[in-house]
Amino acid sequence: MTAQITIPRLETDRLILRAHTLSDFPDVAAFYATDHSKFVGGPMTPELAWRSLAMEAGHWLLRGFGRWSIIEKASDQWIGITGLWYPEGFPEHELGWDLAEHATGKGYATEAARAARAYAYDTLGWTTLISLVAEGNDASAAVATRLGARPDGRFTHERFGAMNVYRHPAPEALA
Amino acid sequence: MTDLAIPTLETNRLILRGPEPQDYPDFKATFTSYRARFMGGPLNAYEAWMLYAAEIGHWAIRGYGMWMIHDKQTDETYGMAGGWKPAKWPETELAWVIWPGAQGKGYALEATHAARAHFYRNGWDGAVSYIDPKNLDSIRLAERLGATPDKGAPSIDGNDVVYRHPAPAALDGTQLAHGIDMEIAHYADPLFKPKGYALD
Repeated sequence: MTAQITIPRLETDRLILRAHTLSDFPDVAAFYATDHSKFVGGPMTPELAWRSLAMEAGHWLLRGFGRWSIIEKASDQWIGITGLWYPEGFPEHELGWDLAEHATGKGYATEAARAARAYAYDTLGWTTLISLVAEGNDASAAVATRLGARPDGRFTHERFGAMNVYRHPAPEALA
Repeated sequence: MTDLAIPTLETNRLILRGPEPQDYPDFKATFTSYRARFMGGPLNAYEAWMLYAAEIGHWAIRGYGMWMIHDKQTDETYGMAGGWKPAKWPETELAWVIWPGAQGKGYALEATHAARAHFYRNGWDGAVSYIDPKNLDSIRLAERLGATPDKGAPSIDGNDVVYRHPAPAALDGTQLAHGIDMEIAHYADPLFKPKGYALD
C-alpha cells in the first residue's frame, strides 16, 4: 500500500463537511446538469460530472488538501461543495463553493466556506486565500463579500475565462 | 475520515504504484500530445491536470483504478494500466496507455497482464477493453492478452470496439496464460539478441 490520505470531517452549526463518496454522484450530476452551474464549469454531461467527482477526490491526494461535500444536518442531504482548490493553472490557493439551487438563500455557502477557511488558516497554517468569481456570478460575489473578502484584480483561466479575484482577510484580521 | 490505499504490484521488470504528484509531468506530456488522440485528447493543461486527479480519485470512488507503470530498476515511468469505470461505462474496463518512448518493449503487456491477474484474484469475473478501431497498437495488445471482439456487447459511444477478456478460469494454468508469460519473458530476456542490422 503506498498512497494514503486522510480527509478530515468538519462540522458547523447546520452543516457537515465530509469527503466525497460515490453516493454523492446523483447529486453532483444533478448540480452540473442545469444552467445553475454555468459559472463553475457547467452544464456538463453525467460522464464529465463523474470525472469531476473523481477529480475532487484526486485533488486531495495530489495536493494534500481539497474540497468537501456539504451535507445539511437537518435533512442529511448533499447540498453542495466547498473547500480548498489548486489545480494546474490557478494563480494561488483558492477557497471555492458550489451550492445546489434548492439550498441557496440560507447562508449555507457562507457557513461552509467559513469552516473551510478556518481549516486552511488554523490547521494548515496558510496566511492568505483568494476566491475566484466568474464575471456575472453575483450570488457568489455576495458570499465572498459576506466572508470579508475584497476585490483584488482579475485572472483569466484557460477554461473558465475572465474571473474576479477576491482576497480573504488574513488570519490575524479574523482572530 | 476517508482513507485511500492503493496496492502496489510487482512484475519481472516493473512496479505498478498509484499515480503520484511527481509523475504528473510524464502524464501531461503524453495527454497533451497527439498520442492521446484515442483517449479523448490531446488535452490542454487544465484538462490534463483534471484527468490526472480523476485517475487518482477513481481509486477513492471505485476502490480500483489505474496504476502508474514504473521501471523496477530506474523508477522511470512508462505509462499506466489498470481498471477504469467512470459513469456511462457499460462494464468494467481493463485499460492501458504507454508513453510513446516506451513502446515496443512489452511493458504494456506485462503491466496489463499483472493488473488483470490482480483484479481476477480480487473478485472480478471478467473485463472488457473499449478500443478505437483505428488504434491498431491497442487492438494488437488486446489480442495478445487473449481478448476477442464482442460484437453483441454495448460500447461506450458506438464508435469503439468492445474486446472481451478471457474469464479467470481461461487464464488459470492454461496454454493461453503460458503463452502470455512466455511472451513477457522473451521481452525481458530475448533468446536472440542481434548485435546490429546487416548492411549491404
